[in-house]
Amino acid sequence: MNDMNILIVEDEARIAGRLERMTQNILGDRLQSLTHIGTLDEAMEYLKKNPLDIVMLDLNLNGEDGFDLLKSVVSGSFHTIIVSAYQEKAIAAFEYGVLDFVPKPFNQERLEQALNRAIGKERSDINTVRFLAVKKRNRIQIIPIEHVLYIKGAGSYTELYLNDGSKELHDKSLEKLEQLLSSTFERIHKSFLVKMSEVRDIIVKSGSKYEAELKNGELIPIGRTKYKGLKAKWI
Amino acid sequence: MKLKSSPFLLLISILTLITSCEQKPAVFKEYQTVFKVGDNPTWSKKVFNDSNWERRIDIIPKGEIFWSRTKIDMLKAPEEFRPYGLRIDAYGEYEIFWDGVLIGKNGNPGQEAELPPKGELWITYGIPVHLATEGKHVLALRLSNYYFPDHVGMHELEITNYEDLLTDLLIETSYMHVFAGAFLIISIYFLFLFLNNRKEYPTLIFSVCCFLIFGLVITVFSKDYIPIHYSVHVIRLQIINSFLLGITFLIPYYYSMQFPYPKRKLSLMLYAGLLIFFWLIGGHEFGFKTVSMVLSMLFFSFGIVGYGAYKNIRGARLVLVTLLLSVVMFLTFGFVISLYTGLGLVLLGMLYLLTLNIKAQRLAYENTLVQSARLRLELLKKNIQPHFLMNTLTSLIDWVEESPKKGVLFIEALAKEFDLFNKIEDKTLIPISQEIALCRNHLQIMEYRKEIDYVWQEEGIDLEQKIPPGILHTLLENGITHSLPLEDNSVRFTLSYESNNECKSYTLLTFARSAKQGKSVKEGTGLKYIKARLTESYHSEWDLISEPTNHGWKSVIRIFA
Repeated sequence: MNDMNILIVEDEARIAGRLERMTQNILGDRLQSLTHIGTLDEAMEYLKKNPLDIVMLDLNLNGEDGFDLLKSVVSGSFHTIIVSAYQEKAIAAFEYGVLDFVPKPFNQERLEQALNRAIGKERSDINTVRFLAVKKRNRIQIIPIEHVLYIKGAGSYTELYLNDGSKELHDKSLEKLEQLLSSTFERIHKSFLVKMSEVRDIIVKSGSKYEAELKNGELIPIGRTKYKGLKAKWI
Repeated sequence: MKLKSSPFLLLISILTLITSCEQKPAVFKEYQTVFKVGDNPTWSKKVFNDSNWERRIDIIPKGEIFWSRTKIDMLKAPEEFRPYGLRIDAYGEYEIFWDGVLIGKNGNPGQEAELPPKGELWITYGIPVHLATEGKHVLALRLSNYYFPDHVGMHELEITNYEDLLTDLLIETSYMHVFAGAFLIISIYFLFLFLNNRKEYPTLIFSVCCFLIFGLVITVFSKDYIPIHYSVHVIRLQIINSFLLGITFLIPYYYSMQFPYPKRKLSLMLYAGLLIFFWLIGGHEFGFKTVSMVLSMLFFSFGIVGYGAYKNIRGARLVLVTLLLSVVMFLTFGFVISLYTGLGLVLLGMLYLLTLNIKAQRLAYENTLVQSARLRLELLKKNIQPHFLMNTLTSLIDWVEESPKKGVLFIEALAKEFDLFNKIEDKTLIPISQEIALCRNHLQIMEYRKEIDYVWQEEGIDLEQKIPPGILHTLLENGITHSLPLEDNSVRFTLSYESNNECKSYTLLTFARSAKQGKSVKEGTGLKYIKARLTESYHSEWDLISEPTNHGWKSVIRIFA
């Protein structure tokens, strides 16, 4: 992944400088832009206007609890890495779908690990996402992950199909969601990410076509290349 | 509630048991006493026509001899070797005849003016066995009444087994003295409690009440062993009534302290006026005066405690029950018996209230201990809470990596901050110089972290002053957290001190851009800490203003002393 745009939201100048320097060291030429913002309001403004790949966020900015900001950033198209002193917030942060949580004090190795996870599409092994945040007009809607049956890629964004039959749009790409949801969801097709616990059966059709039958009767196509791996897991 | 009132129920049942013990059947019947002024030895005879004698004489000329005759039917002759006796309560000095035989002499009738007072108001004589036969008898008294010529007559006559007459009195007296002694001990105990805590006036009032009841009981029941001449009886009654006056005023006064109500002073003054009115009128009798005072007390107490119960003040309901019980006793057992037991009950209720107070005080004290411990922890936590510690360590690592020399300076500043906190952590007040050192040092650390020029200035600081630890430090922390640097990358703090007759005040001004413009600032743990510390040292004698200004922020702490 090249031409990366990264935003650092941190109110401690020294730490922000450290993050900038290390990110530069790690990513080098792959970096297109690296911005540092010290206040919450400015950060929110910047998020709206600029396309980003990664946001590094401190949860406690100028004495304000950054959880509202957290809900907002995880609904974005970019991956979020939390850099915070409050380790006890890590679990909650993961539940809301951050890619990684880097506790302070940190070194370059730990930061590199987090950035690699974002760039290298490395699957998150500590996957405990419980909610997906969806941008609505003027607000953020939190959708519990157990309501999601499958996710369909639609260009740079995705469609979440819920168990009540409704559909929500998410700003993250299917690839990014796959990274976050890898423990419960399986990429069975280049356009589909399905919750494995919802799959009732795998149907083999004529002409080497495969379909997954969900518990509610819906049929989702299975990519030819994905079938083998899936079958192995299924059995 | 039910459980707590059970001791009272027990007391009631015991009292019922005691009073319902069967009275011995009377052995005599007493007829109308008749009087005649004059002196004739034959008037003592058993057989004598006294039909023309007066049933009532209002006044006897001072010191003159007069006679009284009382016909008595003896219903039963005495058992063998257990002679009868008689106990008599009459004003005057007299000789006493039974069927014409002189059986006792109480003073010197007719010679009172010349001789000093002699004799007793209550006196017991034996009746000769051979005269105590079943059937008709005559009790004749040859009297003179020098001191109270308008008090003519026999107030009380009791005839029964002579030994029983004496032992019954002894038993009654000893019970009542035990009762009085209990009140004396309680009184002394609560007096000591008061002397150790002189702000607790309810304790003193309770102690005085107990002492007055002790005095009352002792005065009333000492008559059987202290010989009292009828001429000084009025003094005894006045003493008794004075004790009662004190008791009947103090009990409602005590309640009014425990259950405050509007227009308390006025009502208490009116009540005191009423009591004094009753105390002054109505002669010397125990009856009317006493009943009026006690009934007024119950009535007034009911009002106060009822109001307390209505307002749901702690303990009021139980006290109301004790008052009700004492009223029930007055109605059931008659006035004299229930006066003491009723008062005992009322005092128990008062004691209950006192114990409630003591418990509340203990809880409050424990609370302050917990509060102090919490504040101490809060102060210690400042340096180990993750936001401060981890951010500082991250910056420190960065400094060490970039410039070890600066890193060392940073570590030294940090060490000094820890050292300063160690010195103040167990104090409730510290010299202002120490607090300022803490602030300056903290700014140094924050400069390394935030790379902002923090400037500290002081004006008019009085180095003699003391201040709760960490409160300026907390204001400073808030200032750092919520401020963005000015154009020249600086944030300036100015601490100024002023004092006048009314108060001392510290003003901390922050010159910076606000980090949250237009947003409401809710009270954080920092301000709560400051307020708790100020309350700990100055109770309510302080105020704190914390508000935005056009140059940044302003906090003013005022301490009134």
